[in-house]
Amino acid sequence: MLELLRQLSWPEIRHHPWRNFAALLAVMLGVALAFSVQLINQSALSEFSSAVRSVNGQPDFELRGQRGGFDEALYERVATHPQVAIASPVVEIDTLVLDAHKQRVPLRVLGIDPLVAGPLSPALMPQPNAGVDRLSLFDPKGIYLNGPARVRLAEPKMLRLQSQHGLVEFQVMGSVAAGGVPIAVIDIAAAQERFGWLGKLSRIDVRLKAGADRQKVIDELALPDGVRAASPDEGAQRASNVSRAYRVNLTVLALVALFTGAFLVFSILSLSVAKRQPQLALLGVLGLSARQRMQMVLAESALLGCVGSVLGLLLGTALAAVGLRLFSGDLGGGYFPGIAPPLRFDPLAALLYFLLGIAAAVIGGWLPARQAQRLAPAQALKGLGMADAGTHWRWVGPALLLASGPLALLPPIADMPLAAYLSVACLLLGGIACVPAGIGLLLRGVRPPEHALALLAVERARHQRQTATVAVAGVVASLSLAVALTIMVASFRDSVTRWLDALLPADLYAHAATTGGTGDIVVLPPALVEAAARTTGVKRVKAQRVASVVLDPQRPAIGLIARDVDDPATELPLVSDLLPAPRDATSIYVSEALATLYRMGPGTRFSMPLPDGRRIPVFVRAVWRDYVRQHGAVTMHLADYRRLTADDRVNDIALWLDAPADAPRVQEALRQAARKQGLDDALLEFAAPGEIRAVSLRIFDRSFAVTYWLQAVAIAIGLFGIAASFSAQVLARRKEFGLLAHLGLTRQQVLTVVAAEGAVWTAAGALVGLLLGIGVSVVLVHVVNPQSFHWTMDLLLPWWRLTLLCAAVMVAGTSTAWLAGRSAASRQMALAVKEDW
Amino acid sequence: MLDVSALTKRYGDTAVFSGVNLRVAPGEFVAILGESGVGKSTLLNCIAGLDTVDAGKVLINGTAINTLDETRQALFRRDHLGFIFQAFHVLPHLSVDQNIALPLLLQGAPDPKRVDALLNAVDLIGLGPRLPQTLSGGQLQRVAIARALVHKPKLILADEPTGNLDPKTAERVMDVLAQQVRQHHAACVLVTHSRMAASRADRVLTLTPNGIEG
Repeated sequence: MLELLRQLSWPEIRHHPWRNFAALLAVMLGVALAFSVQLINQSALSEFSSAVRSVNGQPDFELRGQRGGFDEALYERVATHPQVAIASPVVEIDTLVLDAHKQRVPLRVLGIDPLVAGPLSPALMPQPNAGVDRLSLFDPKGIYLNGPARVRLAEPKMLRLQSQHGLVEFQVMGSVAAGGVPIAVIDIAAAQERFGWLGKLSRIDVRLKAGADRQKVIDELALPDGVRAASPDEGAQRASNVSRAYRVNLTVLALVALFTGAFLVFSILSLSVAKRQPQLALLGVLGLSARQRMQMVLAESALLGCVGSVLGLLLGTALAAVGLRLFSGDLGGGYFPGIAPPLRFDPLAALLYFLLGIAAAVIGGWLPARQAQRLAPAQALKGLGMADAGTHWRWVGPALLLASGPLALLPPIADMPLAAYLSVACLLLGGIACVPAGIGLLLRGVRPPEHALALLAVERARHQRQTATVAVAGVVASLSLAVALTIMVASFRDSVTRWLDALLPADLYAHAATTGGTGDIVVLPPALVEAAARTTGVKRVKAQRVASVVLDPQRPAIGLIARDVDDPATELPLVSDLLPAPRDATSIYVSEALATLYRMGPGTRFSMPLPDGRRIPVFVRAVWRDYVRQHGAVTMHLADYRRLTADDRVNDIALWLDAPADAPRVQEALRQAARKQGLDDALLEFAAPGEIRAVSLRIFDRSFAVTYWLQAVAIAIGLFGIAASFSAQVLARRKEFGLLAHLGLTRQQVLTVVAAEGAVWTAAGALVGLLLGIGVSVVLVHVVNPQSFHWTMDLLLPWWRLTLLCAAVMVAGTSTAWLAGRSAASRQMALAVKEDW
Repeated sequence: MLDVSALTKRYGDTAVFSGVNLRVAPGEFVAILGESGVGKSTLLNCIAGLDTVDAGKVLINGTAINTLDETRQALFRRDHLGFIFQAFHVLPHLSVDQNIALPLLLQGAPDPKRVDALLNAVDLIGLGPRLPQTLSGGQLQRVAIARALVHKPKLILADEPTGNLDPKTAERVMDVLAQQVRQHHAACVLVTHSRMAASRADRVLTLTPNGIEG
């Protein structure tokens, strides 16, 4: 086989370098994109997990409560247990710090006991600066920053952090070794006193004595309600689980480019085999068996794949290095914030993508190899070409299309929409495989035209449909995926916009914190809500409190939103029926993600924890749509929340104004009211619904930036493939054009035939691609997204954009065919009839 | 009908032939023999205006075809010339009758009766709807002959029409070609290295690098 490749294939590759380079480029780009996405995500996840572990230390287990902490009385019981070697108390506070430009940035503060934390969390041990007293470890005003915090805050000497009572000042006295997100370490007593955590702890890290039974110790500790024992790896594992759907989706998207590349290999090799028919026929006569012909073409595709994969891995590694420098590991999902991971090359992943690249090329080359195998030497030597595929292959396309339906209905596998991905693949491959039969069906009722040029084009389409598949496959593959992604993103954006419209009915919003993490530190006093209601120009006011609770220790915390809701049917973006409120339980409204992850729905009753750890019976009245909290959220009436928790603080105020133009005056009035109540009015931020909408959509667009980029590359590969396959096809027909020149066809008429065929084929491909793309988008919108991210959206078809996409493909195909025709229909075309090869 | 005078063709510094003179009367069947590589096919291409000439003139029915532009040359070929090739060059995606009808369609003058008549004349009656893949070599060459004659050209140029055929089939094809050429009163220039094929001609000439002899 190597000798065959050297003697026969290599000269063919050298003779048509650009055509084969196109196929190689497609494989290379496909592998590079997929591998770079894999490396970036993997490096980010590794770094993030490593940072989580360095912050969490190496205890045997941790005792954790809800977000609001638990009574520190538990600590004495744990520390004095005979099987406990070390018990290290920790207070975790997410707050805001003023940076050098007086901007508020998030900062995680850990209050530790330096006397006991060292063995369990060495990365958190404060390292005083040169000249600073070692006892400064216990200084209530001392603070120690990790590397990312020092960089983010520009090596500060003093820091002002937000607490419940206002800004508190610290002096930077040293550093800690922990990596990852920006964190600061202070003495635990200072954390409790200065941040309002007196009598409370966030967690206790426990190391047992050698030989102790972990479960027995946990049982003996008789943990109070709301406190649980967690593995120290839980955070890292959660980061992996939570980001998995996003990472898998992104990788699948990147593999789209490889998929398109496989079609390009199919197109190029099909045309190569068609052009080499006389050679292959002669070889058949000389003794090369059909099987050997097939193996030769497969070997050519494997060689293309091998070289393309190697180049792709090199390019992918370079892209990943650049990507990590530019995006710091965040490809838009926001799952790994605040880290700057180094590139971690994974040899196993490299091997996998190397093999994937070869597999894509071999799959692309399989059908052409079969054509070479089935070649009839006698017919080929007469120049009569190959017959179309036998009838036994005609079932493949319809079978794949039929299979896509049931696959789309299957539930997720390992929390990933794997069956849905398979459904998409079946849809695409089946649709493309049906192209020849579809064209045959279309032409069945078409009589042979009497016009010579039309006759040539129509009869060619009727009797050489396999050639049509080659020409159309690349168009369909790239366009259908581009159409599907365009529809999905447009649907998502439209759904997000309408969701924002439903959630932002007021004229003005005042808020003090935007995340549950800082929701307990940066709050607005209830008196400010009363003052807002009394402000001239304010028609109506509603308040909102944001917290988080843990429903399942194996899952991240969920959002708890307590707000004034008069009419849930109109004030919440409901996606289910609204049941009447019961008398014996507190009414709640769960988000789609919560409903899916925890298998809840309208009518579900369960015991829900509050931030202070107590549990209450609740009743789910309805499910609402939420595009923010992927892990789930619960909405409850603010009155119920206050009654149950005695927490009257708020995080957000919605204001309806007599006239929206009054907004600046109302803002100033509220700032004055805040100052009168001793609140730092700089903490009070205002936003109009339009501004919130704009920021949200900007975040949305940014999160899809990588998607848009990958889609653009897939389209570019597809268009390049169209150009390469059309030009190869036209050049392969030089003998036919030569004959037509003999018969009296002018050069202009040859160009007309070629351009018209190019236009018709790309139009057919555009139509099939559009229809398939819509089909794929239905699976993406209604199956992949809900199964991946646990939210739904409404399908929207952006016809203008789809029209532009189809038009771009048609222009590319037609102009490429025309340009190739200009080359083929040269002065010398008539002489092509004498060419043997 | 055909008047070639002092025709010279070179590829670079290499002369293919020089000083070729040839006159063919209307309805005359002329065969040109020559060794391989002497330029027989090139001569036909030059006569048809498909290749450039370095010197000399080609007049077909009084028209200097080599002086026409590309488009007018194509139109001239369409109306006045018919071609038969060694490798048949039948379009595989057109049926037999569509292949034969192609020159008429190019003229915008479809004539199914004419096509049927030629199918009959070349003994391919009933095979009109078939695709070329189902035909033998001899049958394919007869399709090519019918295609070359369907539009009643004044001049037929045949390049080794029996080159791919066995002797018996070649004889039969030459019988058909000679009969049809005479029946249509078309002039025919046949280039071949087969003496059997040449024997059907009215006149046999030999092409050498220095011109035509005989």
